[in-house]
Amino acid sequence: MRGREFSVLMGPSLLVMFGLLVVPLVRTIQWSFENVQYGSPGDFVGLSNYAHALTDPRFGRALMFTLLLTVIVTAAILVLGYLIAIGMNGLGKLRPVILGAMLVAYVLPTIVGAVSFSWLFDQNFGGAVNWVIHAITGQDVLWFTETWANRAMIIAHTVWHMLPFSMLMILAGLQGVPNELREAAKIDGANTPKTHLYIIIPTIRGVLGFVCLITIMDVLRTFDNLIALSPQADAIGNESIMLYVFDSAFRDGAQQLGLGSAINVLSIFLIIICLFPFIRGLLKEAKAKA
Amino acid sequence: MRFPRPLKTGVAVLAVAASLAGVTACGAGSKTGGESAATVACDYPMPAESTTVNVLAYNSSAIDPFTNTMVKSCSRDKVTLKHDPIDFAGQVTKTTATLAGATGSYDVLETYGFVVPGLAEHGDIEPLDDYVAKYADKYKLNALSKEMRESMSYKGKLYGLPMQAQMYVMAYRKDVFDAAGIKPPTTFAEMIDAAKKIQAQGNIKYPIALPWNATADITTNFQAAMNSYGKDFLDSSGKPQFASAEAGKALEQMKSLLPYMDPQVTTFDQPKVQQQMFNGTAAMAIMFSGRMNDLTLPSNTKLASNFAFAAPPAVESGAPYLYSRLSVDGWSIPKNTKLDKDMLFQMMASSVGEDASKASVPAAYPAREGMVSEDSSKYAAAANGTIGKTMPAAGDPKAAPVTNAIRPILVQVITGQLDVQAGMQQMQSIAEKTISGS
Repeated sequence: MRGREFSVLMGPSLLVMFGLLVVPLVRTIQWSFENVQYGSPGDFVGLSNYAHALTDPRFGRALMFTLLLTVIVTAAILVLGYLIAIGMNGLGKLRPVILGAMLVAYVLPTIVGAVSFSWLFDQNFGGAVNWVIHAITGQDVLWFTETWANRAMIIAHTVWHMLPFSMLMILAGLQGVPNELREAAKIDGANTPKTHLYIIIPTIRGVLGFVCLITIMDVLRTFDNLIALSPQADAIGNESIMLYVFDSAFRDGAQQLGLGSAINVLSIFLIIICLFPFIRGLLKEAKAKA
Repeated sequence: MRFPRPLKTGVAVLAVAASLAGVTACGAGSKTGGESAATVACDYPMPAESTTVNVLAYNSSAIDPFTNTMVKSCSRDKVTLKHDPIDFAGQVTKTTATLAGATGSYDVLETYGFVVPGLAEHGDIEPLDDYVAKYADKYKLNALSKEMRESMSYKGKLYGLPMQAQMYVMAYRKDVFDAAGIKPPTTFAEMIDAAKKIQAQGNIKYPIALPWNATADITTNFQAAMNSYGKDFLDSSGKPQFASAEAGKALEQMKSLLPYMDPQVTTFDQPKVQQQMFNGTAAMAIMFSGRMNDLTLPSNTKLASNFAFAAPPAVESGAPYLYSRLSVDGWSIPKNTKLDKDMLFQMMASSVGEDASKASVPAAYPAREGMVSEDSSKYAAAANGTIGKTMPAAGDPKAAPVTNAIRPILVQVITGQLDVQAGMQQMQSIAEKTISGS
C-alpha cells in the first residue's frame, strides 16, 4: 500500500482516535495534578489528588469491590458461556430463536435492564424472586441493604447482561474447531470431558482470552447498573470505582474534577495490570501464527 | 471471507434487537405531557433571527405544568423552546456544568430556594428585580407570594421567579385509620402509636413510609426533624449546628421510627414511597406536596379514594415547627446566556401567570396567591396547614455543600453503623471543614 493510500484510509480513523481517545487521556492526566472546576483553568496541586484518593478508605472499598466483582463475573461468564455455547452448538433450527432471546439482555441499555432486573428483587414492584424465596424458606432477603445479598444481585445482573455476547463469541470459536480434530480424539478414545479439556479448549484459547479481555474491561468499568441495583452502594461497601469517580466529580454538583481524574488514572493502571496477561497471550499467539 | 453461521445469525439478531431498543428509547424520551399543557399569552418581541431557547427543568408532576406551559405557549414563529426530560439529579449536575463557563447550554433554569443563595453568591444567575418592576403589571407579578419571593432572593435581590412551593404533607389511609380508631398523628410518638395499632391489625407490616434515600432525601428529612425543634443545619451566622442538643434529639427521633418502616428505607426515594402507598404496603407517608396529587389518581392505584391528607406531625409535643421543609421552585436566567434576557424573563413570567398557575392546580401549589383554596384538591387543606408551621429557610450559600458533605455520616447513624454522639461530632467536623474550604 502506498503512503498516500495509507494516509487517506487511516487518516479519518486516526483523527477520530486522537480526538476521542488521546485528547481526553492527556487532559485527564493533566487534571489529575490540578484542582479543577468547570469552566476555569486548574491550579497545579502536585500529587495531592492521588494522596487524597489513596488515603480515602472509600477508594479502598471501591477497589476491593470492583476487583471482587471482576473476578467472580469473569469466571462465571467463562464457565457458563462455554457450557451454553456447547449446548447452543448442538441445537438445530431453534438456535436463532434462542440466540435472539438471549441477546435481548445484551442489547438493552444497561440502566433499563438493571431497573427491570431490580424489580425482580423489589417487593414494591412485584419482587418475583422475593416471592419464590419467601414461599420456600419463609425468609425475606434485604437485597438492597445487606452487603452480600446486594453483591449477589449485582453479580447476577452483570452475568445476565454480559453472558450473551461472550457466549456468541465462544460459539463462533467452537464453529471454527475442525471436525477432523474431534474425530481424531474420538478414534484415540478420548471421552467428552477430555475432548473439551485437551482438544477444544486449547484450540479456541484465543477466543477465550478475548472473552476474558472484554469481560474484565467491561466489569472494571461497572457504573450505571449500580444506580438501580445498589441505591446506597457506598454505605454497604458495594460502590464501584467508576461510581466513586462519578460521586466525587459530578454528583450533587460536586466539582472535584481533579480528584475524579486522579482516580481515573489509577483505574487505567489497574485495568492495564489486570489485562496484561491476556494481551501478552494474544500478542504471542498472533506472532506465532504470523 | 466467511464467518461462522451462528456469528452471522447473532449479528443479524443483534441488529434487529438494537433497532427495536432504539425505537423504544425514542418513545421513552418523548416530551412529558406537553400536548395537554395550558396555553397562555406569551407576548415578547420577536427576535430577528431564528432562536432556540433551551430550558433545564426536572420532570415531576408539580414542575411539568409550568415547563410545558412555557414551552407550548412561547414557541412560535422564529422561536423554539426546547426542553428534554431529565430527573432531579441530572438537573443538579447540568446546572453546575452550564453555569461554569462563559457560555452555557441552557437559557432558562429551574432553581429552588436551597441553591439560589449559592448561585447568586457566585454571580451565576441574573438578578430579576428590574424585570419584575418593568413587567409587574403586565404579568400581575405582585400576586406572587411575598414569602416565596423571599425564598428565591439573596441579600435583598430576587434571583428566581417563584412558580410553586412544596411542603411536607402526610398522606394516610383513611380506611385503615378508621378501622383502627386512630386520627392523623401530631407528633412522632403518636405516629408510632398509630403504627403499632395498624401493625396489630395484621395487614400492614410496615405502616410508616418515608423517603430516606441515602443518596439524597435523607438529609432533607434530617433537616425537617431539626427544623421542627427550631434549628437548621447552619445558624444565622453560618455556624454548623450538628453538635447541638436539637440535632441529637432529631436523630434519636428519626431512629425511633425505624421499627415501623421497611428495613430498606434508606433506599427509598419519593417515587418508591408513592409506590408503597399505591400497593397498600404502608398506611402513612410524609413527602413533598408535589407528590400528593399522584395518590389521588385512580389510574395510579385502586386505593386512590382511600387516601386522606393532613399536616405532618411535629417531632414532639411543644416543638415550635412541624416536621416539614418548604421548598420553593422558580425560574432563573443564567448570567452566561447569549439570548435576550428581557425575552427570557417574559417567557418565565407568562408561565407563572394567572391562567398557567390556575391550570397547575391540583398537581402543584402555585406561588401565585389565591390559587389554592381548601377545596382545590384533596390535600390543599393539609398543605395550607403546613406552610405557616414550617421553619423558614435561612438561605445560606454554604448550606448546599454542607448538606452533601454530611450525608454519608448521617446514613451511617441512621443505619446503626455509627452511634448518634459520634455521628454528630463527625458531621460537625466535616461541616466546619466544608465551610472553611479545607
